[in-house]
Amino acid sequence: MKKNYLALALCGILSLSTLTGCGGKKETATSKFEPIKADFTVGMVTDAGTIDDKSFNQGTWEGVQGSALKSSYLKPAGTTEADYLKEIGNLYDAGFKFIVTPGYKFETSIFKAQDKYPDAKFVILDGAPHAGDYNNVIKENTVSIMFAEHEAGFTAGVAAAVELKEGEFGFIGGMEIPAVQKFNWGFQQGVNYANENLGTSVTMKEENIVYQGSFDNVAAGQQLAAQMFDKGVKAIFTAAGGVGVGAITEVKERAKKGDDVWVIGVDVDQYADGIYDEANGKSAILTSAVKYIDQATYDMIKAEAEGNFPGGKQLTFDAKNNGVGIPATNPNLSDDTVKKVNEVFEKIKSGEIVVAATGDGLIK
Amino acid sequence: MNKKGLVSLISVLLGLIAGAIFMLITGHNPLEGFKSLIQGGTLNLERIGNTIATATPLILTGLSVAFAFRTGLFNIGTPGQMLFGGFCATAVGLTYNLPSGLLVPLMVFVAFLGGALWAFIPGILKALFNVHEVVSSIMMNWIAYWVVYYTIQGYFKGNMETESRLLADTATLRAPWLSNLFGGSYLNLGIFVAILAVIIIAFILNKTAFGYELKSVGFNRHAAEYAGISVNKNIILSMMIAGGLAGLAGVVQYAGNANNIQIGVMPSQGFDGIAVALLGANTPIGALLSALFFGLLYSGRGFMSAMTGVPPEIADTIIATIIYFAATSILVERLLDKFVKSRKEKKTQSAALTGGAVSSTDNKDENYGFMPPNSSDSSKNNAKKGDE
Amino acid sequence: MDYVVEMLNIRKEFPGIVANDDVTLQLKRGEVHALLGENGAGKSTLMGMLFGMYQPDKGTIKMNGSEVKITNPNVANDLGIGMVHQHFKLVHNFTTTENIILGIEPKKGLTVDIKSAAQKVDELSKRYGLNIDPYAKIENISVGMQQRVEILKMLYRNADILIFDEPTAVLTPQEINDLIEIMKNLIKEGKSIILITHKLKEIKAVADRCTVIRRGKCIGTVDVKLTTEADMAKMMVGRPVSFAVAKKDTMLGETILKIEKLSVQNNKKVLGLKDFSLEVHAGEIVGIAGVEGNGQSELVEAITGLRKIEGGTIRLKGKDISNYSIRERINAGIAHIPEDRHKRGLVLDYTMEDNMVLEVYNKKPFSNYGLLNRQAITDYANKIIKDFDVRSGEGGASIARSLSGGNQQKAIIGREIELDPELLIAVQPTRGLDVGSIEYIHKRLVEQRDNGKAVLLVSLELDEVMNVSDRIAIVNNGELIGIVDAKTTNENEVGLMMAGVKGGSKNE
Repeated sequence: MKKNYLALALCGILSLSTLTGCGGKKETATSKFEPIKADFTVGMVTDAGTIDDKSFNQGTWEGVQGSALKSSYLKPAGTTEADYLKEIGNLYDAGFKFIVTPGYKFETSIFKAQDKYPDAKFVILDGAPHAGDYNNVIKENTVSIMFAEHEAGFTAGVAAAVELKEGEFGFIGGMEIPAVQKFNWGFQQGVNYANENLGTSVTMKEENIVYQGSFDNVAAGQQLAAQMFDKGVKAIFTAAGGVGVGAITEVKERAKKGDDVWVIGVDVDQYADGIYDEANGKSAILTSAVKYIDQATYDMIKAEAEGNFPGGKQLTFDAKNNGVGIPATNPNLSDDTVKKVNEVFEKIKSGEIVVAATGDGLIK
Repeated sequence: MNKKGLVSLISVLLGLIAGAIFMLITGHNPLEGFKSLIQGGTLNLERIGNTIATATPLILTGLSVAFAFRTGLFNIGTPGQMLFGGFCATAVGLTYNLPSGLLVPLMVFVAFLGGALWAFIPGILKALFNVHEVVSSIMMNWIAYWVVYYTIQGYFKGNMETESRLLADTATLRAPWLSNLFGGSYLNLGIFVAILAVIIIAFILNKTAFGYELKSVGFNRHAAEYAGISVNKNIILSMMIAGGLAGLAGVVQYAGNANNIQIGVMPSQGFDGIAVALLGANTPIGALLSALFFGLLYSGRGFMSAMTGVPPEIADTIIATIIYFAATSILVERLLDKFVKSRKEKKTQSAALTGGAVSSTDNKDENYGFMPPNSSDSSKNNAKKGDE
Repeated sequence: MDYVVEMLNIRKEFPGIVANDDVTLQLKRGEVHALLGENGAGKSTLMGMLFGMYQPDKGTIKMNGSEVKITNPNVANDLGIGMVHQHFKLVHNFTTTENIILGIEPKKGLTVDIKSAAQKVDELSKRYGLNIDPYAKIENISVGMQQRVEILKMLYRNADILIFDEPTAVLTPQEINDLIEIMKNLIKEGKSIILITHKLKEIKAVADRCTVIRRGKCIGTVDVKLTTEADMAKMMVGRPVSFAVAKKDTMLGETILKIEKLSVQNNKKVLGLKDFSLEVHAGEIVGIAGVEGNGQSELVEAITGLRKIEGGTIRLKGKDISNYSIRERINAGIAHIPEDRHKRGLVLDYTMEDNMVLEVYNKKPFSNYGLLNRQAITDYANKIIKDFDVRSGEGGASIARSLSGGNQQKAIIGREIELDPELLIAVQPTRGLDVGSIEYIHKRLVEQRDNGKAVLLVSLELDEVMNVSDRIAIVNNGELIGIVDAKTTNENEVGLMMAGVKGGSKNE
């Protein structure tokens, strides 16, 4: 008798949870993407960090989900090539033959995977496959996608400077890697541009430009941000994954107390993460330097569905093709600022303003 | 089957049941889940190879924790020792241009030394100043983390900020024949390093006077001291050997499973070593078997996720649940003891009812050990409880 | 008959064990009734039932003729039953009064009325001759005084029946005498006492009647005045016991151990042993007498090398071994039966085999080139186990933990004697053991002496020191008070010296 009750109870739990499971899946209706009709399934392997990292993993996954195709992501146990290859193999063996990988760390594993699984398609974001020697070899079943982070940083820099007009800005980076550096360099150029051409007087000191050294040390991010704010920094641009999350926590606490401090987000529109006043929807995120990772991912899936997967190519998403920029809506920016930023953005598009992807003459 | 093995098996079983309940709660079919979990680790030769390769560093970190534990030390510094040992090996591999047959053994050797050095510090602090090794070895983890971080960035930086330069194939434990044998798996010579280490450590612990000393100190350092065994010497040596084993985990991980060292992450294999050792009842062979079990879980997890739609986070939780229960072997042991005892008691009680005489199976008390022969008949009829 | 407490035909079973089987104990009003039995005979279980800790399976408990159910210790308290535990339950940084009123504090408004309580304590103290200062802190008073606080605690709670659980274990002979006086006072004031003990001499001194139990069974109740100690011992053990340790005359040999002006720090980093000098010759047993904590441990640890010395020298057969390591001293011929067999004597999780080679595992034939020779170890261990009659489930393969205390101790003694030492140091070698075991161990120590070895015996049991030793060195507060010849001294003299009176009672 006892066994029967147990079985019943378990069945109950089972059915309940399947119900809620179904309910959950239906919620993804308000996507900015059109569902794609195709019969392939999409897999993704995450980089270090969680799927809701408000950054690369999340952006990529949103693009994947935007396609509304059957999809799955896997989380590798470590960050070695073997770890990544194992998860790619798992996706492949489970029938996911369109695989998206966010981040340059996948470069050597995609290099191997594109040969090992010739009937699968690979999209690598922010990197290009090579054997470890940086001679890119992009096979016909692979697309490499790069972003012009410096242009995103530049745009965000202009927007922040024009909105706040004067004061001290800071920067917190994760690891000192090209994608993060380019954000930093672009941001500084943007601030300088605004100072020279748009009548602002924003300063950036070397001591307030810091690479924390990891992408996951939330506590350190919060500490760094607190130190900077204490020293009088008004706005911090974070390009640091979890470290940035710490900075956002700090800015929310201070904004709640009425301090005039801000954080400029990165990769995706982080406005929602900076909300400290739920009732009025007030956020401490001034704006974000966005890479439209989700768009790029979605575009590649769409291309595959339409039969024109740009295999073998390296694509760059920049201002020209609206692959980077600041979010479409910025509640914390005045109309005037938005207008000025749009003008600058058009100049980048047209080539009138050239943002350098190097750090010459800039801090760090 | 001996008792320790039985305890571990029950622990694993409990873990799997807990994992199954968790799958049920999250709305997944446990049978499907476990099927794909096991398939993921064993479906083909490549996957079997990968399972063994995943287990390789775990064998060594588990062995490290188990070995220290036998001397009464809790080596929680395995991540740092592994990192530093791996770093030393990588540094040698990137610096010297020697034939593979020389370079790889040299790397293995310096990995052992590096790990041993990293554990020597908590060892000597414990021996001389009675600083608890848990505290000092945890701190050493972070010192290793940042030393390696700084040095790799300063001197061995690859094109990526988070990694060292790649090791040449001659400077790794990779062996094409082995990899091909297992369908292109990343299985490498590291497994032989691990198995050799298991054999050597088992030999030291069970067959040598040195092992006798180490275990004496571990079981009862006061008695060891009384018998003239140098407790401090053995603490330091034990920590160093444990550290060296963790260092070997570093070389098999960074110059075997990978071909460069990752910085900015504490190797998870380090802390997993604790669970491996616990499940393996702190014996060398136990560490080997439980590491293989962990390897299976870690390699099968992704496939389970992909096949059953269990999100990776839930899969992680399931794996963690299994490990958690598997590591509670001490609890299982106690329960088992209790069970066995109550069974025995029931037996003796029923004997008492039929025979009228009661004999006690528990002779831990302080009395009647010396009953002279002429009274041995009556000694069966013993009542002794409660006079303490 | 006027019985205050009657425990009639009590039976108590624990899983697998009959702890009490048809035990009857009747306590008359105004008597001291001894409860005699070896360790594990069932004394504590019986008293536990009277104190409400367990319920009897069969039998009845009557108080003043009517049956009572003592379901928990509070009921026992209400019935006027109080227990003076062997291990005092006192808060050390409280005063005596605070300890006595703990749990039943008299209130004055919201505050504790210490003053009236102290007054009552003082009154009780005077009435029973307890001599307690109501405001003294526990940590500042002697062990004997602490015990009196425990007694007063019961009196304060209006206990009429007092159970003393092995009350003399922690006292000096003089304190024991005081306690006996106190017990007599209590009786005079109409209290009744049950005295749990295995010391026959005390029973003889204070008790009126004595109930003996052996292995849970009631052997009988005797009138103490009409029964000899030997008869009671026989009832307790189940066979005749000899108290006198048979010894030949000493054949004094050369000086084996020579200690000069030895000073050693104790755990509190002050000198626990001061300027201590002592010689032990081949063929004699020198006993160290003293109340616990007066420098005995420091002395033994200094000789064996477990503790660093601050000054003085230790010579073994003329060689200065003051700076030898522990192992070097063992090799030089010192064997040591440690005070605490579980802490130091054995690796409890090792097999008996492994324990038997604890000091010699790295010597031939037990190991060659660092490899253990299992066969040699097994043979050696089996020899000791056989020679010293160590009983265990699986012989040498038994885990040490699984052996009874007596067998563990025999194994340790066997191991140490098998080292064939010049000097055997035996510390509390019979602690916690039954009479039979004690007899055996004493025989072995004397045998060692008869074989021309030196033996240093440290014991807190004065009887043991007096019976086994040839000479007795008395320590007090880390100092050597004097050395007396065991044959010519008496308990009173040694007792006074233990209390620090130099020269003892010789002048009386």
